[in-house]
Amino acid sequence: MIEIRNIVQSYGRNRVLDDVSLTIEDRSITALIGANGAGKSTLLGVASRLLPVISGCVLLDGIDLRDIKTREIAKAIAVLKQTQSIAVRVTVSELVEFGRFPHCGGRLKQVDKDKIEESINFMDLDDIRDKYIDELSGGQRQRAFIAMILAQDTRYIFLDEPLNNLDIKYSVEMMKIIKRLVRDLNKTIIIVLHDINFAAAYADYIVAMKDGKITNRGRVKDMVTCDVLNNVFDHKFNIIEHHGRRICLYYGSRKFHKSEKMLDKRGMGRQIHMQKCLHHFSKHEVSKAKMKKVLEHHLSAYMHKHKKHDYINKMEQREIRTREHVH
Amino acid sequence: MDYIKSINFKRLIIISLFVILVIASMLIGALESVTVKSLFQGDQTSWMVIWSSRLPRTLAVILSAAGLSVAGLIMQAISRNKFMSPSTAGASDAAGLGIMIAYIALNTQEGIIKTIFGFFFALIATLLFTSVINRMKIREVVYVPLIGMMYGGLISAITTLICYHFDAMQLFAAINQGSFARIGSFATVYIIIVPVVLAMFYAARFSIIGLGEDFSKNLGLNYNRVVFLGLVIIALISAASYTAVGPLPFVGLIIPNMTTTFYGDNIKKSMLDLMFFGADFVLICDIISRLVIFPFEMSVSLTISVIGGIVFMGYVIATMRKGKYRGKKSVTPSTAKASGEE
Repeated sequence: MIEIRNIVQSYGRNRVLDDVSLTIEDRSITALIGANGAGKSTLLGVASRLLPVISGCVLLDGIDLRDIKTREIAKAIAVLKQTQSIAVRVTVSELVEFGRFPHCGGRLKQVDKDKIEESINFMDLDDIRDKYIDELSGGQRQRAFIAMILAQDTRYIFLDEPLNNLDIKYSVEMMKIIKRLVRDLNKTIIIVLHDINFAAAYADYIVAMKDGKITNRGRVKDMVTCDVLNNVFDHKFNIIEHHGRRICLYYGSRKFHKSEKMLDKRGMGRQIHMQKCLHHFSKHEVSKAKMKKVLEHHLSAYMHKHKKHDYINKMEQREIRTREHVH
Repeated sequence: MDYIKSINFKRLIIISLFVILVIASMLIGALESVTVKSLFQGDQTSWMVIWSSRLPRTLAVILSAAGLSVAGLIMQAISRNKFMSPSTAGASDAAGLGIMIAYIALNTQEGIIKTIFGFFFALIATLLFTSVINRMKIREVVYVPLIGMMYGGLISAITTLICYHFDAMQLFAAINQGSFARIGSFATVYIIIVPVVLAMFYAARFSIIGLGEDFSKNLGLNYNRVVFLGLVIIALISAASYTAVGPLPFVGLIIPNMTTTFYGDNIKKSMLDLMFFGADFVLICDIISRLVIFPFEMSVSLTISVIGGIVFMGYVIATMRKGKYRGKKSVTPSTAKASGEE
């Protein structure tokens, strides 16, 4: 178990992490989310000993990281930062061999060789094992680095934005691999993600950060809500449920209406629209007359736009009246 | 078994070329009576010439070339920059400064004392350079060696100033010219064996360092310590080779570059080939410089500069073309220009 206790970290006068404490559950995926500069990468760096701790401590199974030899930490915690900048000509199998360094110090024994084979096979890299990593596609490259981390044979894996520069297909593939690492190999993964939808779909826990502090944390279903996300990202979110999964819409409002229009063909958009209006009213105190006026205006404009039949309009009016009563 | 498997065609060519060149280097010289035949007949003068002149000379060539190649490779791994070498980081110039100071302050001394002086100067100079460069966080690859060259120029200007002041310009001119003809101080060149063995021992660590600081920390490596060790190795090789044979330009730059295109950046794998390759290159240059105005000889620095310059230009252009062909930007025109300047 990794425990982060009261970490304060600053660059010059700028406080990047302000008294952050966090416990990471074993055998799970924890996603760190937050806006740029919220301190996600710094927290990851501190927790994975890449950055020195200024104040506070990080405990690995109850022992302070500063009291453990770096070689020993490297056997327990692996961390992969953005890899696209690494421009070195080594083959995939050589890269994976580097992962054994903490265990063998550069001289491979049979155990190490077995582990290397295992990692290469797990990541399905056997065909390209002799290719140089600068000749690979983004997805293959990322897989090669993950294989190296696997060869390192650690319980904890920290990944800093592993989906950067990957296109959709490879991003999904990468997240599936990460899911498999937890399920099949009992790894514990902490991952910094930019795309909230990837976090919602694949993570077990989400930790939201803002201005160097952890604002919220919890299971995905508690975290992917309008209130939490609006606060964390300072942006208006819309959340849709689709087959029991939550999807966040955070694009421009026009696009949102477009998606509503599409839904309307199945008669769903109207409901969402109504709910939106009512939600708005419940938040702001508005007089009943104004409320009715706005609602009617909204609906007539909406209906006019979609050239609905009159009887639907009548039904809408009735619906408004009933809702008003309820309200 | 692994070792036998790893012997490949490329390595075989390099090593056989090496053997041929060593034999040629032994047999070429002012005394023409030294031939294979006379050696087999047990001719005493021939053997004496071989033992006291040609063998030390050939060994000096091999060791200094192999050493400088290794130093260049480590420098490139540490700085993660393919255009770095001991001569583009001020190491060679600082070694020269140290050796000149040893000459001036202590008069004629054993090669080892001069080497120690050169070593400390080179180490301090490279330490200063790398720490300043790391702090500057320069993104463009070309600027670092350019700054390094200016830095080296500054150091050699100081050397010139000191020599001028102590009226030692002639000595400086003689030392600052790479040559394998100064047999007297060749003994110093054997010092190179120490850092080279050290480098082989730490090869895996240097490869990992080449992948970046975070990467090496992740694998439990003490980044700063390994970088320091690398700089010590570089400084020792620069100083010893400078004392023994003078500056050999380009060796630390082109040999690692060409080897890594063939063998990749895994230092552990490529080191042996790198050393043989470097030795081949300098042996060829040395033989040429001995043959051009036979029975006299030219400075080997000159031959290396001419041949090395041409080879390196060709290499850069080739990688540029290849890069274009693959649709990748491996060497930009600006880097080609910069290397041409050297």
